[in-house]
Amino acid sequence: MSYKIYEINEDLLDVMPQEIRDLQFRATWGNPKRGVMDLPYSKELIEEHSLCAGCPESMALRYILASLPSPEDTIIVNSTGCTSLVFPHIALHTVHSLFGNQNAVASGIKRVLEWRFPDKVKDVVVLAGDGATVDIGLDCTLQSFFRQEKITTICFDNEVYANTGGQESGLTVKGHVFKMAPKGKQWDKVPFWQIAIDSGCHYVARLTVSSPKRVETVIKKAIYVAREVGPTYVHLYTPCILEIGLNSDDGLDEMRQRDKERFAFFEYVSDAAKEVIERKKEEGLL
Amino acid sequence: MMRKRVNIRMPALGGQGAVTAAHIIATAADYEGYYAVSNPFFGAEKRMAPAESYARIGLEPIFDRGEVVYPDVIMVFHPQVITMGKSYTMPFYSGIKRKGLIIINTEEDLLTDEDKERLESLDVKVLNFPATKLAIDIAGTELSTNMAMIGALFGAIGCVGLDAIEEGIKSRFLKKFVASGGTASLDSALERKFKKKLELIEKNLNTAKGAYDLAQRWAGEQGLEPFLPPPPKKVTV
Amino acid sequence: MQATESVIYNRAGQRVVSPEYLLFEAPRTKHFMTGSEAVKEAVRRASVDASVSYPITPQSEAAHLIGELWVEGYVGVYFRGESEFGVMSEIAGCAMAGARTITTTSGPGTLRAFENFPMWAGTRIPVQLVLMARGVNSPLSIQPDNLEVGFLLDTGCMIWYAENAQDLFDMILAGFVVAEQPDVHVPVITVVDGFFVSHTREAIMLPPDDIALPPYNPYRAPMPVIDAEVPPGRFLRDPFVMKSNYISYATHASWQWEVRSAIERSRPYAKRYLKGLIEEFGDPSAELVFVACGTAAAQAKEAVRLLEDEGIKARVVKLKTIRPFPVEELKGAVKNAKYIFVPEFNVVGWLEREVRRYLYGHSDAEVIGSPRVAGGMTMPAEVIVQEVLKLTGKEVKHVL
Repeated sequence: MSYKIYEINEDLLDVMPQEIRDLQFRATWGNPKRGVMDLPYSKELIEEHSLCAGCPESMALRYILASLPSPEDTIIVNSTGCTSLVFPHIALHTVHSLFGNQNAVASGIKRVLEWRFPDKVKDVVVLAGDGATVDIGLDCTLQSFFRQEKITTICFDNEVYANTGGQESGLTVKGHVFKMAPKGKQWDKVPFWQIAIDSGCHYVARLTVSSPKRVETVIKKAIYVAREVGPTYVHLYTPCILEIGLNSDDGLDEMRQRDKERFAFFEYVSDAAKEVIERKKEEGLL
Repeated sequence: MMRKRVNIRMPALGGQGAVTAAHIIATAADYEGYYAVSNPFFGAEKRMAPAESYARIGLEPIFDRGEVVYPDVIMVFHPQVITMGKSYTMPFYSGIKRKGLIIINTEEDLLTDEDKERLESLDVKVLNFPATKLAIDIAGTELSTNMAMIGALFGAIGCVGLDAIEEGIKSRFLKKFVASGGTASLDSALERKFKKKLELIEKNLNTAKGAYDLAQRWAGEQGLEPFLPPPPKKVTV
Repeated sequence: MQATESVIYNRAGQRVVSPEYLLFEAPRTKHFMTGSEAVKEAVRRASVDASVSYPITPQSEAAHLIGELWVEGYVGVYFRGESEFGVMSEIAGCAMAGARTITTTSGPGTLRAFENFPMWAGTRIPVQLVLMARGVNSPLSIQPDNLEVGFLLDTGCMIWYAENAQDLFDMILAGFVVAEQPDVHVPVITVVDGFFVSHTREAIMLPPDDIALPPYNPYRAPMPVIDAEVPPGRFLRDPFVMKSNYISYATHASWQWEVRSAIERSRPYAKRYLKGLIEEFGDPSAELVFVACGTAAAQAKEAVRLLEDEGIKARVVKLKTIRPFPVEELKGAVKNAKYIFVPEFNVVGWLEREVRRYLYGHSDAEVIGSPRVAGGMTMPAEVIVQEVLKLTGKEVKHVL
């Protein structure tokens, strides 16, 4: 456990900003049972955020960071896009490298950490948007699945390139008009959760972030399975309220609506993953 | 002026072991105490398609690398190099230096009168020599053609003896050697043929020796001087 | 090794020795091998933690051989990536996580990977890339041609250029030592001309294989290593990334300067471990000077010998580093030059540009970007001599 790295030199305590002191005294370290229920009472690992007001992606990020079973030993790898605005605010080890290479960078980090620290568990979690995961980064994403890298890949699917101003992506729904698809998208949304299964992921889930508790369970399962078995994939609907013309307080309603249709909760668990999940349930960790 | 360097060009067909031959020639020359460098032609060579390799042997450190454009010696591994133009240079002897040497693996004379005239004007000697036939006679396989060519080279140009050739062949087959996947599969074909590595080495050595003696006699008849003075002091570290 | 120090072993069980001992003092024995095999022998003695590979001619053999070292326990992590873009990102991840890393590529692979190189430099990871230069498309070529090196000059990586297998062996070891200095800590691209070095078999002097460089200590790095063992970079207050304000511009600009400054700070280390940034060959009083790197330097050395036979004094200034560029060394070396020939294996003459740029206002010599061959052509010394005779107005005799 490395949470000691968040301990501040005593002589400097009084000059450190409040949010840094809070990280030492009020964040949840060393407790695998931490979760979204801690959110109102503990210091979050994300300090504000620089996304649009009411952005569901900011909700997703908060729930995910609250659910990491071992944040003190978690490395977050991200990509370019709206999410790259948030990573400087996260108190963990985070990497932004290039647009689309996140699963490759994560593979390298995970393998070296296993080699350098054979007796420790270090979780490597990839957080990236739909463009990064399925379009420009598709090769690196799938190849990390093929290679059975022990990493968790989380895709924030907002069905559009939002950060660059609203262009069609591979995960845009057919017919939807976005920039670069001025006549409407000509082909179907890529069913990436299914591709992830076919490509060797041992735990795959598709959901919106309308239910914090459900997000927590999914993230924990995905990380525990990745630790022991192999790649896991979580596909989250985090609509871009800006690009689909909703108000800041409409995000939750949008997700609840999609819960009933194209983002209805879906979960795939391989046999090897089932064993891990059952064991973690018995240990009271799920 | 006495030569300080012998540059050798080996036009061959893919699969004949010209790369291996260049390696053994350079290793043997190095063992003898000369400076030596070898390299293949840099392409995507395929079986029975043109392939070429090079060796350089000298009295001082060799910086030169790449294709040998101006060779002192050309070793033609297969008649098709000449008859079908399977050569990177046309004619196959382009760039040959004065007083050079050409060794051709053939049972018959393949050169035209024009070729002969040109080569005679440069004082280039030609040794027509049935390397594949010799390989089949001694080693029982045409795969040892390259060994016959190596033996013929050193028999003809002098300067590198049988001990060094033996060392070159042994180092090639006893140490792990990486050239390409193709080389590895050829090696295993050879090994299947001979069952045992040592048997393979012995047959190869005998083939090289047979060719060496033959070429040495020929060189004597032709009045050929050794191509290089004796090697500089051996590097002993 | 001082007798009083306790003996330390690396994870492969090799005795750890100082870089000075490994490079300059350890007894060496002669071996006969290709440039690719020399890469293996260098990596074997370098306490390498991780390597990622991808097939492309002519570097594939070097990459295979590093894989063999992984099987033998000399390298900690090794696998084949999905493409050079993926490989260079994977190797970046390995380095960020605290590993000493090495990878290899060539020509189109370099271009496929390109986005990674400035990222490596900006991330301040001391990755070593052994670049076995070959032509880039189109048309397809697998032959030696070093145009790609011109593209790499301003990526923020150090660029060193080895002439032969011996240079390559020594440079790979020195490359780790220099790149990992805390005040340098940028990637090093160690270039050789593909085939001319990778596939050529020549004599090389090697120290014993039971000694190795001290392992990489990631905690000396100027950036926090991504291993959750040290505090992360604290960006919680006023994150500047991608914000449109002066602070964000200044941050990016100053970081870019800092990367270039880091390359400048590598000079004293490179001088020490490479024994100088240039090597001189031939008659020191000659007014005819070849400035070259890699195989072009080798061919120029042969040309100097031939010119001597013609009664013409000449010499070679071989550049071992291109980034940093050996500015002062070059100025000193061409002080008395009348003609500076820059032979190159590419069509654009990137080295000629560099030489002109750094000598501008410092030399009265005529700089001649010739001879220049490309697409895989060999540059025979005879051709260099003919070119020199022609361009200096001397009688061109048949040189054969």
